[in-house]
Amino acid sequence: MENAVATTEKKKKVITEVEMKQYIVVKIGSERYGIDITFIDNIVRMQKITRVPKAQDYFNGVINLRGEVVPVMSVRIRMGLEPDEFTNNSRIIIIKLEQQGSIGLIVDEVQEVVTLNTNQIDRISFDNSSDKTTFINGIGKHEDQLISLLELQSVVAERVIQ
Amino acid sequence: MDVSQYLEIFLDETKEHLQSLNENLLVIEKEPENKDTINEIFRAAHSLKGMAGTMGFKRMQRLTHDMENVFSEIRNGKMTVTAGLIDVLFQCLDALEEYLDIIQSTANEGENDNEAIINRLNEILQEGQGGGAPAAAPAGDAAPAEGAAAPAGEAGEEKFRNIAFTDEMKSKVTEADEKGLNLYGLSVYINNSCLLKAARAFLVLKAMEDFGEILTTDPSNQDLEDEKFEFDFSLYVLSSAPVEQLIEAAKSISEIEKVVGAKVTLEEIENKGKAQEAPKEEEAPAAAAETAPVPAAPAAPAKAASNKPAAASSAPAAQTNKPVVSRTVRVDIEKLDDLMNQVSELIIAKNSLVSITASEENGVSQNQPFHEQIEYLERITTSLHESVMKVRMVPIESVVNRFPRMIRDLSKKLDKKMELFMSGEDTELDRTVIDEIGDPLMHLLRNSADHGLESAEVRKERGKPEVGSIWLTAYQEGNNVIIEVKDDGNGIDVESVKQKGIERGIITPEQADTMSSKEIIDLLFLPSFSMAKKISDISGRGVGLDVVKSKIESLSGEVEVKSVQGEGSKFTIRLPLTLAIIQALMVEIGKEKYAISLGSIQTIEDVAYEDIKYVEAKEVINLRGTVIPLIRMDQVLEVERTDEEKPESLTVVIVRKGERFAGLIVDNLMGQQEIVIKSLGKYIDNNKVISGATILGDGEVALILDVNALI
Repeated sequence: MENAVATTEKKKKVITEVEMKQYIVVKIGSERYGIDITFIDNIVRMQKITRVPKAQDYFNGVINLRGEVVPVMSVRIRMGLEPDEFTNNSRIIIIKLEQQGSIGLIVDEVQEVVTLNTNQIDRISFDNSSDKTTFINGIGKHEDQLISLLELQSVVAERVIQ
Repeated sequence: MDVSQYLEIFLDETKEHLQSLNENLLVIEKEPENKDTINEIFRAAHSLKGMAGTMGFKRMQRLTHDMENVFSEIRNGKMTVTAGLIDVLFQCLDALEEYLDIIQSTANEGENDNEAIINRLNEILQEGQGGGAPAAAPAGDAAPAEGAAAPAGEAGEEKFRNIAFTDEMKSKVTEADEKGLNLYGLSVYINNSCLLKAARAFLVLKAMEDFGEILTTDPSNQDLEDEKFEFDFSLYVLSSAPVEQLIEAAKSISEIEKVVGAKVTLEEIENKGKAQEAPKEEEAPAAAAETAPVPAAPAAPAKAASNKPAAASSAPAAQTNKPVVSRTVRVDIEKLDDLMNQVSELIIAKNSLVSITASEENGVSQNQPFHEQIEYLERITTSLHESVMKVRMVPIESVVNRFPRMIRDLSKKLDKKMELFMSGEDTELDRTVIDEIGDPLMHLLRNSADHGLESAEVRKERGKPEVGSIWLTAYQEGNNVIIEVKDDGNGIDVESVKQKGIERGIITPEQADTMSSKEIIDLLFLPSFSMAKKISDISGRGVGLDVVKSKIESLSGEVEVKSVQGEGSKFTIRLPLTLAIIQALMVEIGKEKYAISLGSIQTIEDVAYEDIKYVEAKEVINLRGTVIPLIRMDQVLEVERTDEEKPESLTVVIVRKGERFAGLIVDNLMGQQEIVIKSLGKYIDNNKVISGATILGDGEVALILDVNALI
């Protein structure tokens, strides 16, 4: 009986893997990045960010999100790009990972929501330790355009990339 | 009857009774003739038994029942209190506590019968009754209890005989038999004061593995690892060595009190297997029969004519001497937290109102009633805050009341005479702090008992009283609660700490020469710095003071040591009274706003430039005779400076941490405000300069400066 349950669960998992996944496509620098929609809690406009002294340089500071203090990080600086220039299109994407609290990522622009299924995604193996690729777990192809899929765990993780 | 809904009440009350038993036993150990205490103990044991019976916890009931018998004899003057008896009674309490733990996690009392303790109790009871004419009722009580104990305890010390054999094990034994291996049963008894039972058990098992294969253990290997056992365990080993050799090997491990073992043959097991099934069925009705008379039993001795005067005289004494039981309301901590959050919201709302008026004041409309409303709101929030805080506050007593017992046990174990003096047990602390503070305090006390106090001989030589003293003092000081652990022992040997620091490579010999003794003592708080010359079970496993320190710091507190060699040492723990809402001074540094907890602020001074002096190229001021270092906050916080215009004088906030002061230079004072502390989360690492954040009335986030990290 238990075995039967286990196998059906396994099947379900397999099915979801084949199924579509939705990504929010954002622009950071000249590149388009996809963020798995299941982790996104909210998207907010730029607002006053309180600087936190002595924090890691890629943290812009903290914001007040409906009474909660949420740290905000610059994905640009995190990836070793030029510091952000906030425009009217700049947004903060609030991400909620399991167990860890909320965190905001600053992006230049939010473009669209795309649905990709697994065969549209080229997975990139994780152990490649050279620079930027570590922040990405795959490349999605959508209407002749490439979308780098962000690996949120490594973007948010404490680990400093050499 | 479904009693599960009473489980919580049962647990709480049983804990209270156990605590009172613990305390009273300590009293009676010193004053064996104290009638009032004996009566109190009797009552507590009696209530315990009744409660355990109602809840259907048979094993617990049986143990308390036998305890009660002993107390009843003492109360009636038929037995005297001896050191041995007290030891057994303390064991009983420990066993009861264990039941309670199991009940708390599983709602079931577990399987441990505690035969050894029950047998000891009954032995004592019989010895005590030996001479005098036995009182009819208690003797009658004791007999069935023992009768019930007999079938389960028939194996006596050879507890391994109680282990049931599975078919798989039997086939293994048969196989081994063919290879010429013998099957040995062993029961290992660990010293009752052993603190690392699991480790000892592991060593025993490891030693046994050298001789052959361990067939099974009781309790299971996992339970042994998790310390889920009393002070004994049993095992079966397949080995070719003689059994004496195994016993010797097990005994050679320290803190193993006794090892019994024997060769067991397959036939014996087979026979037992059959026999076991039969008594099992018999045991059930026997247990039922035993419980039946119990509710009547306590009533019987009280009613017995001979006992009447005693009972009658004890009753008025009970009334006059009854301890003031604090009337408590048990509130789910989660509900409290919710309430707390609501208050937080309320305060935020209030703050936004304040900022609206502030902006309106600059404009046209001056609205008097609006102002009044705000004042009213402010009053409400303040008093609401206070009352909620009070609900969260718990006297520190609930943590420290187990320490006298601990010190007593340590005193026996270390063979040092010592006494614990406690004061300020009614000092209140936030519930969250109370829950966490127990372990660090226990560690400091053990530290004092083990490393601090000298042995009686050394103390005599040094002209100190033979009995060492440890003081545990708690009191409130401003927004902090101070807890001190002090002893009159040897103090900290600065030289030997220095040597150790150099040995461990923590400091270089050159550094050591320039360090003050205070700096050297602070080395003790570094991870893996253990002072014990010989590692003991009580302290000195290298996870000592650094753990204490990090725990206290996680509660936003701090710990400090002072020590005079030969005279003793004093550990001072400073904890914030509350954690969620504080009064703070808002300041401006550059264009940024920061909050400083009012509790740590001493004064605010206007300092002229010419008053700044230099000591070792550092800026200081001489404030009414005290030299205070200045900290330029804009530099520490790397605030961007736009205008280089220098004001005529500096605004300096004098903050205090223990006995140290510092002056924080800020640009502007914005006023006092009640702020709700919010965490910055785990992502941001800021070297402890910032202890949290708060949301201001206008929705902006302001950071809270951690003064402790700055000084």
